[in-house]
Amino acid sequence: MASQEIQGKKPVQILEKIRESLEKLNEKMEVMIELQKHGRKDLQPLPDAPLDVMTLLSMPDHLRKTAMTICRLGRATAEETSEQTHRARAVESAYLNQLVTMGYMKKERNGRKAYFYVERETQQEGS
Amino acid sequence: MGKIIAVHSYKGGTGKTLLSVNLAATFAKHGKKVCLFDLDFRAPSLFTILKIEKAENWLNDYLNGTCGIEKVLLDISDRIQNNGMLFVGLANPSTEAIRDMSSKDRKWEMRALGRLLALRNSLLGEKNFDYLIFDTSPGLQYSSINAIVSADLVLVATTFDRSDVNGTQLMLRELYDLFEKKTEVILNKVFDAPLKSGKDIQAKLNNIYQVPILGIIPCFCDVLKAEGNVIFAQEKTDHPFSKLLNEMANKINNNM
Repeated sequence: MASQEIQGKKPVQILEKIRESLEKLNEKMEVMIELQKHGRKDLQPLPDAPLDVMTLLSMPDHLRKTAMTICRLGRATAEETSEQTHRARAVESAYLNQLVTMGYMKKERNGRKAYFYVERETQQEGS
Repeated sequence: MGKIIAVHSYKGGTGKTLLSVNLAATFAKHGKKVCLFDLDFRAPSLFTILKIEKAENWLNDYLNGTCGIEKVLLDISDRIQNNGMLFVGLANPSTEAIRDMSSKDRKWEMRALGRLLALRNSLLGEKNFDYLIFDTSPGLQYSSINAIVSADLVLVATTFDRSDVNGTQLMLRELYDLFEKKTEVILNKVFDAPLKSGKDIQAKLNNIYQVPILGIIPCFCDVLKAEGNVIFAQEKTDHPFSKLLNEMANKINNNM
Protein backbone atom coordinates (compact mmCIF):
# COMPACT_ATOMS: atom_id res chain seq x y z
CA MET A 1 0.00 0.00 0.00
CA ALA A 2 1.50 3.36 -0.95
CA SER A 3 2.34 5.69 1.94
CA GLN A 4 0.31 8.50 0.33
CA GLU A 5 -2.68 6.17 0.19
CA ILE A 6 -2.31 5.32 3.86
CA GLN A 7 -2.14 8.95 4.91
CA GLY A 8 -5.56 10.39 5.44
CA LYS A 9 -7.22 7.04 6.09
CA LYS A 10 -8.63 6.00 9.40
CA PRO A 11 -6.84 3.19 11.28
CA VAL A 12 -9.93 0.96 10.88
CA GLN A 13 -9.79 1.30 7.11
CA ILE A 14 -6.09 0.55 7.10
CA LEU A 15 -6.63 -2.55 9.22
CA GLU A 16 -9.44 -3.63 6.89
CA LYS A 17 -7.11 -3.27 3.92
CA ILE A 18 -4.42 -5.29 5.70
CA ARG A 19 -6.94 -8.03 6.48
CA GLU A 20 -8.04 -8.18 2.83
CA SER A 21 -4.43 -8.49 1.73
CA LEU A 22 -3.78 -11.20 4.29
CA GLU A 23 -6.86 -13.13 3.14
CA LYS A 24 -5.66 -12.98 -0.48
CA LEU A 25 -2.24 -14.14 0.64
CA ASN A 26 -3.81 -16.93 2.65
CA GLU A 27 -5.81 -18.14 -0.36
CA LYS A 28 -2.67 -18.25 -2.48
CA MET A 29 -0.86 -20.22 0.19
CA GLU A 30 -3.75 -22.68 0.46
CA VAL A 31 -3.56 -23.28 -3.28
CA MET A 32 0.18 -23.88 -3.04
CA ILE A 33 -0.30 -26.34 -0.16
CA GLU A 34 -3.00 -28.22 -2.08
CA LEU A 35 -0.82 -28.33 -5.18
CA GLN A 36 1.97 -29.91 -3.21
CA LYS A 37 -0.47 -32.41 -1.74
CA HIS A 38 -1.95 -33.60 -5.05
CA GLY A 39 0.91 -32.86 -7.41
CA ARG A 40 0.89 -30.45 -10.32
CA LYS A 41 -0.80 -32.86 -12.73
CA ASP A 42 -4.24 -31.52 -11.71
CA LEU A 43 -3.34 -28.02 -12.64
CA GLN A 44 -3.07 -27.66 -16.38
CA PRO A 45 -4.62 -24.32 -17.36
CA LEU A 46 -6.99 -24.64 -20.28
CA PRO A 47 -8.50 -21.39 -21.54
CA ASP A 48 -12.32 -21.58 -21.36
CA ALA A 49 -12.33 -25.32 -20.75
CA PRO A 50 -15.95 -26.53 -20.72
CA LEU A 51 -16.96 -28.14 -17.45
CA ASP A 52 -19.07 -30.86 -19.05
CA VAL A 53 -19.97 -34.21 -17.49
CA MET A 54 -17.12 -36.08 -19.23
CA THR A 55 -14.65 -33.58 -17.75
CA LEU A 56 -16.29 -34.04 -14.33
CA LEU A 57 -15.91 -37.81 -14.71
CA SER A 58 -12.21 -37.55 -15.52
CA MET A 59 -11.41 -35.22 -12.62
CA PRO A 60 -9.73 -36.41 -9.43
CA ASP A 61 -12.32 -37.21 -6.75
CA HIS A 62 -11.47 -34.25 -4.51
CA LEU A 63 -11.96 -31.70 -7.31
CA ARG A 64 -15.05 -33.42 -8.71
CA LYS A 65 -16.83 -33.03 -5.37
CA THR A 66 -16.14 -29.30 -5.33
CA ALA A 67 -17.02 -28.81 -9.01
CA MET A 68 -20.28 -30.75 -8.60
CA THR A 69 -21.25 -28.58 -5.66
CA ILE A 70 -20.74 -25.39 -7.67
CA CYS A 71 -22.69 -26.91 -10.58
CA ARG A 72 -25.56 -27.59 -8.19
CA LEU A 73 -25.44 -24.24 -6.36
CA GLY A 74 -24.78 -22.17 -9.48
CA ARG A 75 -22.65 -19.61 -7.67
CA ALA A 76 -21.13 -19.93 -4.22
CA THR A 77 -18.37 -18.87 -1.85
CA ALA A 78 -15.82 -21.30 -0.40
CA GLU A 79 -17.77 -21.13 2.86
CA GLU A 80 -21.05 -22.12 1.17
CA THR A 81 -19.30 -24.90 -0.74
CA SER A 82 -17.73 -26.26 2.44
CA GLU A 83 -21.18 -26.42 4.08
CA GLN A 84 -22.26 -28.82 1.31
CA THR A 85 -19.11 -30.92 1.11
CA HIS A 86 -18.45 -31.01 4.87
CA ARG A 87 -14.80 -30.19 4.28
CA ALA A 88 -12.88 -27.24 5.72
CA ARG A 89 -13.44 -23.82 4.14
CA ALA A 90 -9.71 -23.41 3.52
CA VAL A 91 -9.62 -26.72 1.66
CA GLU A 92 -12.60 -25.74 -0.51
CA SER A 93 -11.03 -22.38 -1.16
CA ALA A 94 -7.90 -24.11 -2.44
CA TYR A 95 -9.84 -26.54 -4.66
CA LEU A 96 -12.01 -23.74 -6.06
CA ASN A 97 -8.97 -21.65 -6.89
CA GLN A 98 -7.43 -24.70 -8.54
CA LEU A 99 -10.54 -25.09 -10.70
CA VAL A 100 -10.30 -21.39 -11.62
CA THR A 101 -6.66 -21.79 -12.62
CA MET A 102 -7.57 -24.86 -14.68
CA GLY A 103 -10.09 -22.72 -16.57
CA TYR A 104 -13.22 -24.60 -15.46
CA MET A 105 -14.57 -21.88 -13.21
CA LYS A 106 -14.70 -18.12 -12.85
CA LYS A 107 -14.12 -16.11 -9.71
CA GLU A 108 -15.74 -12.79 -8.92
CA ARG A 109 -15.14 -10.57 -5.91
CA ASN A 110 -17.99 -8.77 -4.25
CA GLY A 111 -16.53 -6.76 -1.39
CA ARG A 112 -14.69 -9.18 0.84
CA LYS A 113 -16.45 -12.24 -0.52
CA ALA A 114 -15.20 -14.27 -3.48
CA TYR A 115 -17.85 -16.04 -5.52
CA PHE A 116 -17.14 -19.01 -7.78
CA TYR A 117 -19.31 -20.05 -10.72
CA VAL A 118 -19.31 -21.96 -13.99
CA GLU A 119 -19.65 -19.65 -16.97
CA ARG A 120 -22.24 -21.18 -19.23
CA GLU A 121 -22.75 -18.09 -21.39
CA THR A 122 -26.46 -18.30 -22.20
CA GLN A 123 -27.43 -20.46 -19.22
CA GLN A 124 -29.95 -17.87 -18.07
CA GLU A 125 -31.94 -17.71 -21.24
CA GLY A 126 -34.79 -20.15 -21.55
CA SER A 127 -34.64 -21.15 -17.91
CA MET B 1 -38.73 -29.20 -2.34
CA GLY B 2 -39.52 -31.95 -4.84
CA LYS B 3 -37.05 -34.43 -6.29
CA ILE B 4 -35.54 -35.34 -9.63
CA ILE B 5 -35.41 -39.01 -10.59
CA ALA B 6 -33.35 -40.27 -13.54
CA VAL B 7 -34.30 -43.66 -14.94
CA HIS B 8 -31.24 -45.15 -16.61
CA SER B 9 -29.80 -48.50 -17.74
CA TYR B 10 -26.65 -49.95 -19.22
CA LYS B 11 -28.37 -51.64 -22.13
CA GLY B 12 -31.39 -50.75 -24.23
CA GLY B 13 -34.63 -52.73 -23.93
CA THR B 14 -34.58 -53.04 -20.14
CA GLY B 15 -37.91 -51.24 -19.78
CA LYS B 16 -36.77 -47.74 -18.81
CA THR B 17 -39.52 -45.96 -20.71
CA LEU B 18 -42.22 -48.35 -19.55
CA LEU B 19 -41.09 -47.87 -15.95
CA SER B 20 -40.73 -44.08 -16.29
CA VAL B 21 -44.21 -43.63 -17.78
CA ASN B 22 -45.90 -45.90 -15.26
CA LEU B 23 -43.99 -44.46 -12.31
CA ALA B 24 -44.96 -40.93 -13.36
CA ALA B 25 -48.61 -41.99 -13.76
CA THR B 26 -48.50 -43.73 -10.35
CA PHE B 27 -47.11 -40.66 -8.59
CA ALA B 28 -49.78 -38.52 -10.26
CA LYS B 29 -52.48 -40.94 -9.14
CA HIS B 30 -51.13 -40.52 -5.61
CA GLY B 31 -51.97 -36.83 -5.94
CA LYS B 32 -48.48 -35.60 -6.80
CA LYS B 33 -47.53 -32.97 -9.35
CA VAL B 34 -45.24 -34.77 -11.78
CA CYS B 35 -43.40 -34.04 -14.99
CA LEU B 36 -41.99 -36.76 -17.19
CA PHE B 37 -39.18 -35.81 -19.58
CA ASP B 38 -37.97 -37.73 -22.60
CA LEU B 39 -34.19 -37.38 -22.55
CA ASP B 40 -33.67 -40.19 -25.03
CA PHE B 41 -32.90 -37.82 -27.89
CA ARG B 42 -31.53 -40.59 -30.11
CA ALA B 43 -34.68 -42.68 -29.94
CA PRO B 44 -37.57 -40.51 -28.67
CA SER B 45 -40.61 -42.56 -27.75
CA LEU B 46 -42.87 -40.71 -25.28
CA PHE B 47 -44.56 -38.88 -28.15
CA THR B 48 -45.81 -42.21 -29.51
CA ILE B 49 -46.43 -43.99 -26.19
CA LEU B 50 -48.51 -41.15 -24.79
CA LYS B 51 -50.28 -40.74 -28.14
CA ILE B 52 -49.69 -37.01 -28.22
CA GLU B 53 -50.73 -35.63 -31.57
CA LYS B 54 -49.11 -32.25 -31.53
CA ALA B 55 -46.36 -30.41 -29.71
CA GLU B 56 -45.35 -26.82 -30.39
CA ASN B 57 -42.07 -26.94 -28.52
CA TRP B 58 -39.74 -29.73 -27.57
CA LEU B 59 -37.25 -30.37 -24.80
CA ASN B 60 -34.62 -29.98 -27.54
CA ASP B 61 -35.70 -26.32 -27.90
CA TYR B 62 -35.34 -25.68 -24.17
CA LEU B 63 -31.87 -27.22 -24.12
CA ASN B 64 -30.97 -25.21 -27.23
CA GLY B 65 -32.02 -22.07 -25.34
CA THR B 66 -34.70 -21.10 -27.86
CA CYS B 67 -37.66 -21.33 -25.48
CA GLY B 68 -38.52 -21.46 -21.80
CA ILE B 69 -39.40 -24.73 -20.08
CA GLU B 70 -43.02 -23.65 -19.55
CA LYS B 71 -43.54 -23.72 -23.33
CA VAL B 72 -42.31 -27.31 -23.52
CA LEU B 73 -44.58 -28.78 -20.85
CA LEU B 74 -47.79 -30.46 -21.97
CA ASP B 75 -50.49 -30.97 -19.38
CA ILE B 76 -51.98 -34.46 -19.61
CA SER B 77 -53.56 -34.43 -16.14
CA ASP B 78 -56.98 -35.15 -17.67
CA ARG B 79 -55.81 -38.73 -18.17
CA ILE B 80 -55.24 -39.21 -14.46
CA GLN B 81 -57.89 -39.96 -11.88
CA ASN B 82 -57.58 -38.29 -8.47
CA ASN B 83 -56.13 -34.84 -7.94
CA GLY B 84 -52.68 -35.46 -9.30
CA MET B 85 -51.12 -33.48 -12.11
CA LEU B 86 -49.09 -35.01 -14.91
CA PHE B 87 -47.05 -33.05 -17.43
CA VAL B 88 -44.65 -34.21 -20.12
CA GLY B 89 -41.67 -32.66 -21.89
CA LEU B 90 -41.10 -34.47 -25.17
CA ALA B 91 -38.00 -35.06 -27.26
CA ASN B 92 -38.38 -34.14 -30.92
CA PRO B 93 -38.79 -37.41 -32.86
CA SER B 94 -37.89 -35.97 -36.30
CA THR B 95 -34.82 -37.38 -38.03
CA GLU B 96 -33.39 -33.89 -38.38
CA ALA B 97 -33.68 -33.24 -34.63
CA ILE B 98 -32.13 -36.63 -33.77
CA ARG B 99 -29.23 -35.86 -36.10
CA ASP B 100 -28.86 -32.38 -34.62
CA MET B 101 -28.78 -33.70 -31.04
CA SER B 102 -26.15 -36.28 -32.01
CA SER B 103 -23.75 -33.64 -33.25
CA LYS B 104 -23.59 -31.32 -30.24
CA ASP B 105 -20.20 -30.27 -28.92
CA ARG B 106 -18.91 -30.23 -25.34
CA LYS B 107 -19.79 -26.59 -24.76
CA TRP B 108 -23.37 -27.24 -25.77
CA GLU B 109 -23.51 -30.24 -23.46
CA MET B 110 -22.17 -28.07 -20.63
CA ARG B 111 -24.92 -25.51 -21.23
CA ALA B 112 -27.49 -28.31 -21.46
CA LEU B 113 -26.35 -29.52 -18.03
CA GLY B 114 -26.85 -25.98 -16.72
CA ARG B 115 -30.37 -25.91 -18.13
CA LEU B 116 -31.26 -29.28 -16.63
CA LEU B 117 -29.90 -28.12 -13.27
CA ALA B 118 -31.96 -24.93 -13.61
CA LEU B 119 -35.15 -27.06 -13.64
CA ARG B 120 -34.63 -27.57 -9.91
CA ASN B 121 -35.37 -23.88 -9.32
CA SER B 122 -37.88 -23.28 -12.08
CA LEU B 123 -40.04 -26.41 -11.71
CA LEU B 124 -39.37 -27.86 -8.26
CA GLY B 125 -38.95 -24.45 -6.63
CA GLU B 126 -41.24 -21.98 -8.39
CA LYS B 127 -43.85 -24.34 -9.88
CA ASN B 128 -43.97 -26.72 -6.91
CA PHE B 129 -43.56 -29.96 -8.81
CA ASP B 130 -43.13 -32.99 -6.53
CA TYR B 131 -41.24 -35.13 -9.02
CA LEU B 132 -39.40 -34.65 -12.30
CA ILE B 133 -38.72 -37.99 -13.98
CA PHE B 134 -36.00 -38.18 -16.64
CA ASP B 135 -36.32 -41.08 -19.06
CA THR B 136 -32.79 -41.40 -20.45
CA SER B 137 -30.79 -43.10 -23.22
CA PRO B 138 -29.01 -46.30 -22.22
CA GLY B 139 -25.26 -46.37 -21.54
CA LEU B 140 -22.80 -43.54 -21.32
CA GLN B 141 -24.45 -40.91 -23.50
CA TYR B 142 -23.93 -37.22 -22.78
CA SER B 143 -27.66 -36.60 -22.30
CA SER B 144 -27.94 -39.50 -19.86
CA ILE B 145 -24.96 -38.43 -17.78
CA ASN B 146 -26.32 -34.88 -17.72
CA ALA B 147 -29.59 -36.32 -16.40
CA ILE B 148 -27.77 -38.40 -13.78
CA VAL B 149 -25.74 -35.41 -12.56
CA SER B 150 -28.95 -33.35 -12.25
CA ALA B 151 -30.88 -36.05 -10.41
CA ASP B 152 -31.41 -36.74 -6.69
CA LEU B 153 -32.09 -40.42 -7.29
CA VAL B 154 -30.98 -42.72 -10.09
CA LEU B 155 -33.14 -45.77 -10.80
CA VAL B 156 -31.24 -48.34 -12.80
CA ALA B 157 -33.43 -50.66 -14.82
CA THR B 158 -31.68 -53.96 -15.39
CA THR B 159 -32.35 -57.58 -16.31
CA PHE B 160 -30.63 -60.88 -15.47
CA ASP B 161 -28.96 -60.83 -18.89
CA ARG B 162 -25.27 -61.44 -18.20
CA SER B 163 -23.93 -58.51 -20.20
CA ASP B 164 -26.52 -56.26 -18.58
CA VAL B 165 -25.49 -57.40 -15.08
CA ASN B 166 -21.80 -56.77 -15.83
CA GLY B 167 -22.50 -53.41 -17.46
CA THR B 168 -24.71 -52.30 -14.59
CA GLN B 169 -22.03 -53.25 -12.06
CA LEU B 170 -19.52 -51.22 -14.08
CA MET B 171 -21.79 -48.16 -14.13
CA LEU B 172 -22.43 -48.43 -10.40
CA ARG B 173 -18.68 -48.32 -9.78
CA GLU B 174 -17.59 -45.90 -12.45
CA LEU B 175 -20.51 -43.57 -12.93
CA TYR B 176 -23.09 -43.29 -10.15
CA ASP B 177 -20.50 -43.75 -7.38
CA LEU B 178 -18.20 -41.09 -8.82
CA PHE B 179 -21.06 -38.60 -8.82
CA GLU B 180 -22.09 -39.76 -5.32
CA LYS B 181 -25.63 -40.42 -6.51
CA LYS B 182 -28.24 -42.19 -4.50
CA THR B 183 -28.88 -45.25 -6.69
CA GLU B 184 -31.45 -48.02 -6.58
CA VAL B 185 -31.91 -50.98 -8.91
CA ILE B 186 -35.11 -52.24 -10.51
CA LEU B 187 -34.79 -55.76 -11.85
CA ASN B 188 -37.16 -56.11 -14.76
CA LYS B 189 -38.37 -59.01 -16.93
CA VAL B 190 -37.55 -61.73 -14.41
CA PHE B 191 -38.68 -65.00 -16.00
CA ASP B 192 -38.47 -67.25 -12.96
CA ALA B 193 -39.86 -64.77 -10.43
CA PRO B 194 -42.86 -66.95 -9.42
CA LEU B 195 -40.58 -69.94 -8.78
CA LYS B 196 -38.25 -68.18 -6.39
CA SER B 197 -39.19 -66.38 -3.27
CA GLY B 198 -38.68 -62.63 -3.40
CA LYS B 199 -36.12 -62.84 -0.61
CA ASP B 200 -33.87 -65.21 -2.59
CA ILE B 201 -33.68 -62.86 -5.53
CA GLN B 202 -33.32 -59.84 -3.26
CA ALA B 203 -30.32 -61.42 -1.50
CA LYS B 204 -28.77 -62.40 -4.83
CA LEU B 205 -29.23 -58.88 -6.19
CA ASN B 206 -27.89 -57.20 -3.06
CA ASN B 207 -24.82 -59.35 -3.40
CA ILE B 208 -24.37 -58.49 -7.08
CA TYR B 209 -25.03 -54.75 -6.99
CA GLN B 210 -24.40 -53.67 -3.38
CA VAL B 211 -27.11 -51.00 -3.64
CA PRO B 212 -30.77 -51.07 -2.53
CA ILE B 213 -33.17 -52.98 -4.77
CA LEU B 214 -36.30 -50.92 -5.33
CA GLY B 215 -38.30 -53.65 -7.02
CA ILE B 216 -38.30 -56.95 -8.86
CA ILE B 217 -40.70 -57.14 -11.78
CA PRO B 218 -41.63 -60.46 -13.36
CA CYS B 219 -41.86 -60.75 -17.13
CA PHE B 220 -45.57 -60.10 -17.63
CA CYS B 221 -47.01 -61.45 -20.89
CA ASP B 222 -49.80 -58.86 -20.64
CA VAL B 223 -47.26 -56.03 -20.68
CA LEU B 224 -45.53 -57.49 -23.73
CA LYS B 225 -48.83 -58.14 -25.48
CA ALA B 226 -49.89 -54.53 -24.92
CA GLU B 227 -47.05 -53.49 -27.30
CA GLY B 228 -46.66 -50.12 -25.62
CA ASN B 229 -50.31 -49.21 -26.21
CA VAL B 230 -51.42 -49.40 -22.57
CA ILE B 231 -50.26 -47.38 -19.58
CA PHE B 232 -50.97 -49.99 -16.94
CA ALA B 233 -50.74 -47.66 -13.94
CA GLN B 234 -53.50 -45.61 -15.53
CA GLU B 235 -55.68 -48.09 -17.37
CA LYS B 236 -55.19 -51.40 -15.55
CA THR B 237 -54.78 -50.40 -11.96
CA ASP B 238 -55.49 -53.90 -10.60
CA HIS B 239 -52.81 -55.57 -12.71
CA PRO B 240 -49.85 -56.97 -10.67
CA PHE B 241 -47.50 -54.73 -12.67
CA SER B 242 -49.42 -51.62 -11.56
CA LYS B 243 -49.42 -52.87 -7.97
CA LEU B 244 -45.64 -53.32 -8.05
CA LEU B 245 -45.24 -49.79 -9.41
CA ASN B 246 -47.49 -48.60 -6.62
CA GLU B 247 -45.20 -50.22 -4.04
CA MET B 248 -42.11 -48.69 -5.65
CA ALA B 249 -43.66 -45.22 -5.74
CA ASN B 250 -44.53 -45.54 -2.05
CA LYS B 251 -40.97 -46.63 -1.20
CA ILE B 252 -39.49 -43.67 -3.09
CA ASN B 253 -41.94 -41.29 -1.46
CA ASN B 254 -41.14 -42.57 2.02
CA ASN B 255 -37.38 -42.49 1.53
CA MET B 256 -36.99 -39.03 0.00
